[in-house]
Amino acid sequence: MKSSILATESSGSGLADAVVRLSSMTKRFGLKVAVDNVSLAINRGSAFGLIGPNGAGKTTTFSVVAGFLKATKGSVEVLGVPPTAVDELRARLGVLPQDAVLPPSEPVGEFLTFLARLQGIRGRKAVDAAYNALTDVDGAAWWRQRCGSLSHGMAKRVGLAQAFLGQPEVVLLDEPTAGLDPRVAFEVRQLIKGKRGKATIVISSHNLQELEELCDAAAILDRGRVVAAGTMSELTASNEEVRVVVGHGVRRGTELGSVPMQVLRDLPDVRAIDFDDAAGVLTVSFDRANADAEAVIGRILTVLLANQVRISGVSKGRGLEQRVMSVT
Amino acid sequence: MSPLAEVVHVARRELWRSARSAKGIFLGLLSLLGALAISFVCVWVDAASRASAPSTAQFVELKTIALEKATGDATLAAYLASSPTALLFFLEATVWLTPAVVALLGFDAITSDLQGRSIRYWAARVRRSSYLVGKLVGLWATVGAVVLAMNAIAGCVVLGRGYVTVGQLIFWGFRFWFVAFVIAGAWCSLAILVSASFRTPMLSLLATAGTFWSVGIFGAVAAGARRSDALARGIVRGMNWYEYMYPNAYDMPLMSPERTKVFAAMGLMAVFIGAVTSIAVYLFQRRDI
Repeated sequence: MKSSILATESSGSGLADAVVRLSSMTKRFGLKVAVDNVSLAINRGSAFGLIGPNGAGKTTTFSVVAGFLKATKGSVEVLGVPPTAVDELRARLGVLPQDAVLPPSEPVGEFLTFLARLQGIRGRKAVDAAYNALTDVDGAAWWRQRCGSLSHGMAKRVGLAQAFLGQPEVVLLDEPTAGLDPRVAFEVRQLIKGKRGKATIVISSHNLQELEELCDAAAILDRGRVVAAGTMSELTASNEEVRVVVGHGVRRGTELGSVPMQVLRDLPDVRAIDFDDAAGVLTVSFDRANADAEAVIGRILTVLLANQVRISGVSKGRGLEQRVMSVT
Repeated sequence: MSPLAEVVHVARRELWRSARSAKGIFLGLLSLLGALAISFVCVWVDAASRASAPSTAQFVELKTIALEKATGDATLAAYLASSPTALLFFLEATVWLTPAVVALLGFDAITSDLQGRSIRYWAARVRRSSYLVGKLVGLWATVGAVVLAMNAIAGCVVLGRGYVTVGQLIFWGFRFWFVAFVIAGAWCSLAILVSASFRTPMLSLLATAGTFWSVGIFGAVAAGARRSDALARGIVRGMNWYEYMYPNAYDMPLMSPERTKVFAAMGLMAVFIGAVTSIAVYLFQRRDI
């Protein structure tokens, strides 16, 4: 899979293979500006996250890309055409809308077959495609069941089945695990993971752990604007920062059991270190041009273990959650 | 996929959905029961009319005069005088009731998809224009099927009373059903226009009823004004141009024995349906879903 590149228009980079492109897109509802001058480019094959708190504009952005809403200003392209160009996007764009009700009186199989036919799949092949899509989400047993009788988790899976029906090139997923119990959410995440690389996947969610796990690039929105964007490692600084959580009560110092700041600072490729005494978190920034995170972690742990420091955990970067908190 | 193929898919699903939904089944049964009741009333009126005339020839003569007064068209009156009276009454009742059937079947045709956002499952798969036209065709076909079943019931009742032969029933039955079917198309287009404009089914129902009432009252006032003018002057004139805005006003031209009048009426109905549908498509393509 190609590496995911995201660029805001101001940076003007890496837009050649963009399958979703927003240029200065603004969406207003009356006087309220829901999305303000957003520019994004999402590259083919990537798993891309739209992140932000409630009201940040991610579902509005998602809905404009899916063709549900019309942009007030700016342009939006999916696979080189506007999202409303149905004929060009038929069977190439799959969408899981948030909170869209499945037709309650319709059997699941019939509903999916109908959607397959609308995608241009004919005759028996439409039934087969629908059945395969349902089987992919472990829902073959619901084929004859009415959509109205499905549980929330089952309905979400049927929604995923229709989104991936016919193996589209771009799949948009809006809050794919919202309202699901942890087990079903885990299974849905596994399902999406299994689809990575086979399609460009755009996920709108405020579940940051989920996005960190699923996506290789993301844009963080706040109050309708993109406040940060990049690959996941750029956003989380995972390729230039290492964090070590030490045991309770560990202090900085030179004696055994303490964090030897000067020794750590003198390690090769280390640019800066910081130790939060209250939280017991050691943050080490390094020169990513000369060393990778794993090598730096090895050196730091060697020093700490030699100094008999108790270690609770090690992680690369600062985590998406902290990044989002810092920019929103 | 061509827009026509999309329309066929959507219309077929709509027809099938109406036939299976609780609302569709309930309204269908209600319409058929209503048709049965109206059939007996029509038969009773037919019998009473016949009893008031000394002979069949005089009955036909009186019927011709009455129809000429009502339509202002001697050729049409003579033609309709040969039709089974009960079925003719039933046609008029059907034309009057069709807007109610259309309103109840069609008010949520699109509104319910907008409210539940299920339309979003279709958005990337079907053109909005095809979706809307498919809904219209599906609703029209549903109403057409209901009206056909109503006519079949009325036909059976009239046939049972011996007022028509099987041949007459088939000829006039289909002729009258066709008139009601064409007019229903105009009401369906209005229902779809209203349904595509609202997200809340109750509002859509009220707006559909309000629109139909407004159009109906406008048509009744326009026709009434022409008739009172005819009474005052003693000259029966044809319909004024604005009367063509009222779909039910097309019943007489559509029943004419003159093909040119029938085709002209069908053409005008097509223009009416096309214009209303075009407005609906224009608005629907510009709205958020």
